[in-house]
Amino acid sequence: MLKFHLIKSQIDGMLGERRHFVDEFGEKIKLAQSELHNKSKNWEELSQKVDKSKTSWLLAGISSPLNTTSPLPKRPSNYTAISSDGSQIFPDRHEALPCYLINISSIILNYGDNSGANLSSDPVLFYKEQDRFTLWDGKKIPANSEVISHRRTLMEFERLLDLVKETNGRENIISISDGTLILWRLEGTPSDFKSGVLEPFLNIMEELKSRRVPIVGYISSPGSADVINALRLGLCPEKVSYCNQCPYTELPKLPCAHVEGLTDNNLFSRVLKQGERSAVFRSSSRILESYGDHHIYFFYINIGEEIARVEIPKWVAEDNKLLALAHTLVYDQAKKGKGYPVAIAEAHEQAVVKGKDRNFFFDLIKESMVKADFNVTISRKGLSKRVPGV
Amino acid sequence: MDHIGEVIESSTKGFVAHSPRVGESPSFGSFVKTDSSPVVYGLVYEIITQSSEPGRRPTAYDMSMDELKREQPQIFELLKTEFHVLTLAHTDSKKLNFTLSPLPPPIHSFIYECTDKEKKELSEQDFFLRTIMSSSNVPVDDLLISSLYHASTVRKDDSEYIVRMGKSLSRYFKDDYERLSSILRRVLY
Repeated sequence: MLKFHLIKSQIDGMLGERRHFVDEFGEKIKLAQSELHNKSKNWEELSQKVDKSKTSWLLAGISSPLNTTSPLPKRPSNYTAISSDGSQIFPDRHEALPCYLINISSIILNYGDNSGANLSSDPVLFYKEQDRFTLWDGKKIPANSEVISHRRTLMEFERLLDLVKETNGRENIISISDGTLILWRLEGTPSDFKSGVLEPFLNIMEELKSRRVPIVGYISSPGSADVINALRLGLCPEKVSYCNQCPYTELPKLPCAHVEGLTDNNLFSRVLKQGERSAVFRSSSRILESYGDHHIYFFYINIGEEIARVEIPKWVAEDNKLLALAHTLVYDQAKKGKGYPVAIAEAHEQAVVKGKDRNFFFDLIKESMVKADFNVTISRKGLSKRVPGV
Repeated sequence: MDHIGEVIESSTKGFVAHSPRVGESPSFGSFVKTDSSPVVYGLVYEIITQSSEPGRRPTAYDMSMDELKREQPQIFELLKTEFHVLTLAHTDSKKLNFTLSPLPPPIHSFIYECTDKEKKELSEQDFFLRTIMSSSNVPVDDLLISSLYHASTVRKDDSEYIVRMGKSLSRYFKDDYERLSSILRRVLY
């Protein structure tokens, strides 16, 4: 039971904090815009500083003037958008049987001549010993929500590749994934688990590369600040910055703090016109050290309704044709979806497992058990949640 | 012959069928039958095309149908067409029986358009007019007109037929001349 009257004063407190940020926002964003412009003149200098410095924040790798904008390329009249999403029912030890479910959607949208759409989803029930346990630092542990989420992510990419294979023969294919292509959640996981996810993921990327089908990760209203952080580095008077040895901690305000708190979204919403994309930047996320040829790059795009972050592997970033295709098709998808790519919106709709589906799923298991003459026992906690007493 | 629908809701007085193709349906007032046993015969009295998912509503795109098919092909996968059928008769050991079926057609029975011979049999007497008139929640007057139209198209050479059915209607509507007149004028239009 949530006591809303006790939340209200805390919300007011939160808004008080926010007001300070809003007051400073105007000045910060003005400075960020002028820094973006200024640092573009000697962008190689900042690029080298980014490569050499050690900061506590993620920095955008720079390989062209920061304020470069590219207009929307012409869209091919025929193209195919592919997407997949997943949803799961986590195992519940208070239910009758230990198992979990992953539902993976398949979306193929063909535009232009021979247009048409395939929308579907396939659920998979995991109940075998090898499904329910995983190797974690040499030990066998029960598959928890973290493990299942990684398995789901991998299944989504596997499905994307299967769908690409199905569309053999069509031209201008794009595969769009909801969210980041940077599997940063794997950072900090033991190497046996990490390689179990990363290796098949990179094999999928390799196959997409060999088929020259660009894959993009689409992030709506991104909260990332990689470019802003590069500008913060530019504001630091040090030649090469080492945040852990910062000589300015005695100052009332750190030199790099003048644009702190802004996001790249704030900045590029003032820089990009509708349809335009930013320069392509390199992500410095640590997990990408294992990505090799598939290192993730990104750009921002103004799709009209908002700024989105589009992540692409290195082989798309360095291939002008694939980059232009990704740019124009992402924009077209977002326009068709009234601000959000229609392929990933439909992938979500097909994959989603709602609360009542979850209850029905566990009821179905219990009903099937009863029909098959099994004893059904659920924990007292499970029972208590189902029929709370007074 | 391909089926034109599949029963998804079934009751004694009628049933609802899902069309295999969005936007396609047997026309309003047409005679249809199930492939179940007993065969149930009826009249289409409502056709609805809408979103197949509750909670998602179609929105305007400001595009022609051709443009929509080229540029927004997914929307046609997210719509469904259903039609409602009013039960008229059923077969009873091969004989046509103008009463409600003892059991409604099973869910997932296929729906077919009636043959000309079946249409003739179903409309030979005025039972179908009586069934329409005594039904609630159907557009009675329009269904009378449309079903008579379908019945008369299989009797091209029988001009007496409409006169005969008109006489039946005049008996049913003996207290409501205006309504009878409106129906008859539209039948003969």
